[in-house]
Amino acid sequence: MSAALIAPAAHTAADHASQLDIAADLLTLLGEATTEPWPNTQLEALTLAVAADLPVLLWGEPGIGKTAALTQLAQSLDLPLTTVIASVHEPSDFSGLPIVGDDPAEHGVPMAPPDWAVRLVRAGRGLLFLDELSTAPPAVQAALLRLVLERRIGSLKLPPGVRIVAAANPRSSAADGWELSPPLANRFVHLQWVHDHDVVVRGLGGTWPHATLPRLDPEKLTEAVAFARRAVCVLLAARPKLVHQMPSSEARRGGAWASPRSWEMTLRLIAFATAAGSSRDVLSLLVRGAVGDGPGFELLTSLDRMDLPDPETLLGDPAGAELPERGDLRQAALDGVVAAVRKRPERSRWDAAWVLLVRAIETGAPDLVVVPATTLATLRQENWEVPASIEKLAGVVSVSQRADRAADLVQARR
Amino acid sequence: MTVPAADQKLDLEKLFAARLYAVRVRPYLATALFALHIVESRRVPTMSVDRYWRCYVSPAFVDSMPVEELAGVLVHEVSHLLRDHHGRGERFAREHELSGPGERLRMNIAADFEINDDIFGDGLVRPEGAILPADIDLPAGKLMEEYLREFRFGTYTPGMAWLDCGSGADGLEREWELGPLGADGLSEQQRDGVRFRVAQGIIGRPGNVPEGWRRWAQEAFHPPQPWRDLLGAALRAAVSAPGVGEDYTYGRPARRAAGVPGVILPSLRRTPPRVSVIIDTSGSVSDAELGSALLEVTAISRAASGRRDLLTVLICDAAARIAHPLCAAEGIPLVGGGGTDLRTGFATALRAQPRPDVVVVLTDGQTPWPETKPWCRTVVGLFRRAPSWREGDSDYVPDRPPAWARVVEIG
Repeated sequence: MSAALIAPAAHTAADHASQLDIAADLLTLLGEATTEPWPNTQLEALTLAVAADLPVLLWGEPGIGKTAALTQLAQSLDLPLTTVIASVHEPSDFSGLPIVGDDPAEHGVPMAPPDWAVRLVRAGRGLLFLDELSTAPPAVQAALLRLVLERRIGSLKLPPGVRIVAAANPRSSAADGWELSPPLANRFVHLQWVHDHDVVVRGLGGTWPHATLPRLDPEKLTEAVAFARRAVCVLLAARPKLVHQMPSSEARRGGAWASPRSWEMTLRLIAFATAAGSSRDVLSLLVRGAVGDGPGFELLTSLDRMDLPDPETLLGDPAGAELPERGDLRQAALDGVVAAVRKRPERSRWDAAWVLLVRAIETGAPDLVVVPATTLATLRQENWEVPASIEKLAGVVSVSQRADRAADLVQARR
Repeated sequence: MTVPAADQKLDLEKLFAARLYAVRVRPYLATALFALHIVESRRVPTMSVDRYWRCYVSPAFVDSMPVEELAGVLVHEVSHLLRDHHGRGERFAREHELSGPGERLRMNIAADFEINDDIFGDGLVRPEGAILPADIDLPAGKLMEEYLREFRFGTYTPGMAWLDCGSGADGLEREWELGPLGADGLSEQQRDGVRFRVAQGIIGRPGNVPEGWRRWAQEAFHPPQPWRDLLGAALRAAVSAPGVGEDYTYGRPARRAAGVPGVILPSLRRTPPRVSVIIDTSGSVSDAELGSALLEVTAISRAASGRRDLLTVLICDAAARIAHPLCAAEGIPLVGGGGTDLRTGFATALRAQPRPDVVVVLTDGQTPWPETKPWCRTVVGLFRRAPSWREGDSDYVPDRPPAWARVVEIG
């Protein structure tokens, strides 16, 4: 240290204290920030996955607020937070330190757990955050995975009240290429953690967001389980190929993929999201984080289809039927009705379908009705008379004719 | 003949006829076209979309266009949404710190270029005035981002702003738009759902779908990752796997052990990996491709071992020529040309003493591969080539890289 940095003799000890006090005041001012409510889908997804007791892996660049999010999560779940930086530990810190006693042949070698684990087990509950998984050497990662999967640290077993969240840097920024093997990747719910530009700018300006976290509604539990089971089973019954899909390409390695295990996780996540009344956006993050993007999207699309009205119900009461507002869903519903008539062609059902099409044209765009109407017309059997209500479909006919004329024009121009 | 704009009513029937016609000629876009929520607006100059899949339509514009051209405009607008131009525009603007209405207009034009050069034809009429990259002498078939880099202000006339396609095309909200809180918008998950269904429809219907749409469908939810990242990750995973690189061992006492008598601790040991790079110098690999891939490999291996002498580069065409201990990345003589047989390259690399921990092969894949799995980890950097069906009449069909190698496609 150079002499210039040592305080000149003229400054008294009291001066120093006051300087530090002023610094403390400045720090307090800097630390003051207000919060505002802000919907945060990724935090909501994280909360639900942790509540569902599934190991979560947060993928995100260093310094984008993963730890801050965990702090907020621990507060809202009322759990004490234990952070363990994986990269500064040795494997024995997780698998237990072997202690050689008097007679190893007689008593064996006990594996002593580290102090934080003892405290965690004694507390019986808590949120264990394993940070910087990606920079730990392979042996440490192996030891950590045993902790995540079997919930064991040496001879201790973590009580059920302890929830585990891990964080890793994406492969492109990880210095030593941390990569999960497919069986391990399959046990995590993978959440991509990204920062929101507006949130960061507003936060640095003094207003940080605080998210209202989902609360499970005790009334909805049974219904949520039934819904989740139906959602997964409807999809997998129709698409057996989705049950097991190992990632094959290099780009998808280390991420989520579909297997019976991850489908079971998905089922649990759907039930939790339903019981919490979460939005589809949250559910989308969770489902895709469990089974991967492709199967996840298929499940979500299948959920959209499950929301469509049942064709038989529509045929039962065509005059009072409620059709979806969105064009593509409405067309899917009408197609479903026509398919149902085709499956069991009866005069009364055929007539009901026409009433339904008329209703559709009275409440929405006519071009959606063209294809279902054409198909329905082809289902006519000889002795069936065309219902009088079909006149109301005139709008459909004229739209269809205008499109035909356009087609002729284009054809002629060629 | 033209009625003053304020008195006109939106001719919905004409618009629906156009949508029906568009669905007939582009059945795979039906879900997307029907998902559009039509909003009549007198403030929008022509037709525009926002990111919530609302489509704002000017009644005067519908009146002035024939049905078949209106169909083209609808497909054009829905293409902005399917191809996520607002999200991509927003990201591009942020990365390059672009702002201002001028830049947004440029983005709109670049997005139009990307769309217009491959959606029209085959029954769908190109609306009058729709701009093509050829109008300012740019090649067709590129992405919005590539066009954005290639033209500047002044190279086009203001007349090129054929359509103001709205925030759905460039991410900037217009004054006529309803915004996130307005009625009938699609949520993010619903938007993804529609895009996913369209993509699935295209993948499930090979044949009559143009190449541009098929490429979009395959990449919509799995955008290709930059090969540098993938190659780096594969190589780092290979050099840091157990047995190579940094790991714990009980073979030596730990430094911590002295402080805790009675406890057995492992110590951290570093075994720098030996990497052999086999380069295919047959005529079919260009120097530029090879140079950039090789630089990548050497940089990563250096970072992994910190020692130059652990990296060996092997030049291989029909015979493995030179085993070259690498002294400087730029000093590798690339000799060769002609046919390739990588099996000799593998044999030479594996015979070397001391033995390599990882073999990296940079090739275009036009070669036979070893029959059996080598005893060390193998990473293959494969230069992407046009599908080989063009050469289908020749007897020689190159094998795909074997399953035991980790393959990263380059370029």
